[in-house]
Amino acid sequence: MMAMRRFTGAAIRACSSSSSSGYFARHLHASSGESKKIVGVFYKANEYASKNPNFLGCVENSLGIRNWLESQGHQYIVTDDKEGLDCELEKHIPDLHVLISTPFHPAYVTAERIKKAKNLQLLLTAGIGSDHIDLQAAAAAGLTVAEVTGSNVVSVAEDELMRILILMRNFVPGYNQVVNGEWNVAGIAYRAYDLEGKTIGTVGAGRIGKLLLQRLKPFGCNLLYHDRLQMEPELEKEIGANYVENLNEMLPKCDVVVLNMPLTEKTRGMFNKEMIAKMKKGVLIVNNARGAIMDRQAVVEAMESGQIGGYSGDVWDPQPAPKDHPWRYMPNQAMTPHISGTTMDAQIRYAAGTKDMLEKYFKGEDFPAQNYIVKDGVIAPQYM
Amino acid sequence: MAMRRVIRASCVSSSSAGYLARQFHASSGDSKKIVGVFYKANDYASKNPNFLGCVENALGIRSWLESQGHHYIVTDDKEGPNCELEKHIPDLHVLISTPFHPAYVTAERIKKAKNLQLLLTAGIGSDHIDLQAAAAAGLTVAEVTGSNVVSVAEDELMRILILMRNFVPGYNQVVNGEWNVAGIAYRAYDLEGKTVGTVGAGRIGKLLLQRLKPFGCNLLYHDRLQMGPEMENETGAKYVESLDEMLPKCDVVVVNTPLTEKTRGMFNKEMIGKMKKGVLIVNNARGAIMDRQAVVEAVESGHIGGYSGDVWDPQPAPKDHPWRYMPNQAMTPHISGTTIDAQLRYAAGTKDMLEKYFKGEDFPAQNYIVKDGELAPQYR
Repeated sequence: MMAMRRFTGAAIRACSSSSSSGYFARHLHASSGESKKIVGVFYKANEYASKNPNFLGCVENSLGIRNWLESQGHQYIVTDDKEGLDCELEKHIPDLHVLISTPFHPAYVTAERIKKAKNLQLLLTAGIGSDHIDLQAAAAAGLTVAEVTGSNVVSVAEDELMRILILMRNFVPGYNQVVNGEWNVAGIAYRAYDLEGKTIGTVGAGRIGKLLLQRLKPFGCNLLYHDRLQMEPELEKEIGANYVENLNEMLPKCDVVVLNMPLTEKTRGMFNKEMIAKMKKGVLIVNNARGAIMDRQAVVEAMESGQIGGYSGDVWDPQPAPKDHPWRYMPNQAMTPHISGTTMDAQIRYAAGTKDMLEKYFKGEDFPAQNYIVKDGVIAPQYM
Repeated sequence: MAMRRVIRASCVSSSSAGYLARQFHASSGDSKKIVGVFYKANDYASKNPNFLGCVENALGIRSWLESQGHHYIVTDDKEGPNCELEKHIPDLHVLISTPFHPAYVTAERIKKAKNLQLLLTAGIGSDHIDLQAAAAAGLTVAEVTGSNVVSVAEDELMRILILMRNFVPGYNQVVNGEWNVAGIAYRAYDLEGKTVGTVGAGRIGKLLLQRLKPFGCNLLYHDRLQMGPEMENETGAKYVESLDEMLPKCDVVVVNTPLTEKTRGMFNKEMIGKMKKGVLIVNNARGAIMDRQAVVEAVESGHIGGYSGDVWDPQPAPKDHPWRYMPNQAMTPHISGTTIDAQLRYAAGTKDMLEKYFKGEDFPAQNYIVKDGELAPQYR
């Protein structure tokens, strides 16, 4: 059966369009009536699954699309078991057509897995950020990679502003005093500041960065942004932020630095010891982007020396973060697991967006243009 | 001491309206005894030269006061009949205190304080003083109005997000070596689209509403007074005249009223019962506005979904205060108005009022809480 499909597949591929440019293009769209095997990798909720009917993003509630998929004759396998050669995901790699994953519990789609996945056509990210996939390998293999662009941008922007305040106002030591039966106002106040009047720089001002800047506006800060592209003057004015073309020029000015770019080969490990040293001593860093953008050990050392005054984020490398990940135990941190983009509100949006793309896939229709990360062998510009 | 009291009695002006009016302004050249009650910083005092608000740095006014011949005593020891503060009550002229470590100025203490003329709050909120007794005794009570309103508003918005987005359980997982996204996500929400109501929309309430505006919430406010239409437009908030009508609509309730005889214990079981089940409450106003036990029970039953604030009754909060240990809380000690930035402002404002006091000048009008036997309207 499998061999037959592969032979047929090869024949179809041989007839594929001229845009295949010499690589092995897997026919993306399902022939109507074909039953597909769809695998979803999500986090497990256990007892929390039943506490909220809108809790769509977990294994148990599987984006709320099980009935919809199965009533159309498709096979839908959902698991949280994604690591190692003997995991549940690995068993389905050879014959799955579609793999859905989220940044909160990412299925690492390596070149090896892509090679094994003979039927794989489509990789969907229920959320935003597709760096858990080897995009070059996916492009070379003719796969389509898409995410639910915009689905949790407000969520992440709100979360970033919360963390800026948590660090600036020194919330965590105050909370810790309370639960430890203490009362020592000075022990918190000596390094607690208002946000007003401070300089905040966002590295990256795409969807999330812009939404963050809009929310910061009433606080009366000096807002700076660095990005590949400058905003239109009208938008810059509305937002109240100043463009700094040179990152090395922006960093030393900032009391707070917020990361708002994707993890790509260019940004991986970008914030290393040298980059961190360019920032003000005592800088506060918020990173809800991706853990691997930071040099893990450089962050630890800078926190211990005080070069970084406080670090808060919800992203780690890898995820889940192991029990002994050093960021858990460094001083002046306000970390959480990866939660900012998986609020109940965000889950409803990314579940709906994923369903929408599956529907279009079954029908042979294109997705919303901004959703594509890899299409026809080309990687989206922000990842190049 | 007896001589001074006789002179004072004979100088009572007609506005004294039958009570003993202590001559308010220092005669020029008079050396005054000024006592400041602040929190101790210990090792933290030297870590930041701008850390003015602690005992050690004494608002940064020691040299200034002493060079003018005044006597300046600073202590954190304020509780009980044998404390340091009590020793100075009989002869001090001015008592400075802060809401973060308040000197409770009771009617008894006022009676004992024969030289007392002026009570200054370095910060905002003067409920730690028996204002009726102060008014009856002809004292002036003033605070540094506006000194930390931005500080408190920022802090309230932070707490709204902390509760709505369920930050604390996430942080606790991290430090406990755990990773369970679902255990946080199942009750984590975006603020966007939610209904936020502020009970009280004075300086702090307005600043909070302005900061909330870009979040795309449904903003409501209740206050003794309605804002002008321009301000309502600027904040994007709608007035609800009846508090009972506003409360059931709110996903988040923020308390922004002073503690007065009217507001003490206002949020009791009945009032909490009017709110939505699972409501999130932020209270950086005063602990005693809430009925302490009613909050504990509501948080335990889930009627209150989350409670966050920096104010307690009393302060410092004792080790066994139940709010420390109830579920779904994001409490801190009283810190929101004593950031380094705020300290600089309230220290400057306090110094300014002392200067005016020495010169016999009036303070900025909005600073008065008790003047000439009258309480400011928000405290009546």
